[in-house]
Amino acid sequence: MTKNIFIFIILFYFLILFQTSFLVHFNINGWTPNLILIILILTLFLEKPTNKNAIYVAIICGFFWDIFSETFIGFHILIGLFLVILIKIILKKYIRPIIFSKKNNLWTST
Amino acid sequence: MRYSLVKTAIISVLFIAFIFALNLTPLAKWTKNFIYSTSCPIQGFFWETGDTFSDFFKSIFSAKDIKQELDRVKIENQKLVSENLSLKSLKNENESLRQAVGNDIQKEFQILLSHIIGIDVSGDFILINKGSRDGVLENMPIINAQKVLCGRINNVYANFSKVILLSNKKSVFDAKISENATFGLVKGKGNFKLFFDLMPQEKEIKKGDIIVTTSSGGIFPEGLLVGEIEKIQKKDVELFQKADIKPFFNIQEANELFIITNY
Repeated sequence: MTKNIFIFIILFYFLILFQTSFLVHFNINGWTPNLILIILILTLFLEKPTNKNAIYVAIICGFFWDIFSETFIGFHILIGLFLVILIKIILKKYIRPIIFSKKNNLWTST
Repeated sequence: MRYSLVKTAIISVLFIAFIFALNLTPLAKWTKNFIYSTSCPIQGFFWETGDTFSDFFKSIFSAKDIKQELDRVKIENQKLVSENLSLKSLKNENESLRQAVGNDIQKEFQILLSHIIGIDVSGDFILINKGSRDGVLENMPIINAQKVLCGRINNVYANFSKVILLSNKKSVFDAKISENATFGLVKGKGNFKLFFDLMPQEKEIKKGDIIVTTSSGGIFPEGLLVGEIEKIQKKDVELFQKADIKPFFNIQEANELFIITNY
């Protein structure tokens, strides 16, 4: 787990630098794709419901997002955590059991 | 179950207390300044690379427009030649006035050269490489070499500063149309867009009118270039007319900016 967190910190550090200094040159009508948000959403939806990687990713993403934006430190961490926990609960209770149920288990069928 | 709940509650309270402590002390500014300092070389590399790549792709995508652009430039050139002839007569008078008034920004203002390091994730803020150690203070105006206004200092760290761009939704300042002295307010729309508001209905404005700053608001010095009128929104039922502004500043092309330190 510690190894994962360390990898996330390094990855998101470089990702936020890439986002704020490189990707900003490629905006379409003022809009720039937000890699941080895309990776957070992908982590959230692709990991198993029991995994907690998305929570760590939300904290790390939120921290770097706060550093490179004009909000107080903690603003995006709290928003990210709240959303990740909320979506995890929804996925676990209402959506995920259908996909992960033994009858329709798409992930372990092979 | 109960133990888990208590543990979660304690961690949450500690976490929120840590966030409060961080933001209520100068620790937040030190943290940001430390991360900006360590990231500066990498960001500089990314910025330069992004600039080169975007120029390359822009040249590819705009190749089909070059022919049209060339025709337009030829016509414009002919107009300019004729204008040039008439302007030559004013040259001598102009030169003597320049000597008296001084046209260079260095003569007009005390300036400090800075470089852009990055653009904020949420947009319409930029990070520059000059901070309180260089004498930068909050609300100092930022211009480019052509005297085009870009924004003002919003937050100062030891070695870096955050600049709020004119296009930020929080940005509002007094300006006027240089041709007919129509006063109004320039407001940011976000995503590098601006609009000109609170212009009296009776004032005639047209597309291409140049907007400059006024010193009446006390935010910016007089006569800095802002942009040109792009689209006018005039409704009889409203007291004022509005217009979209095409800003002169282009952050992606402006690597060097000047901070006006004596205003």
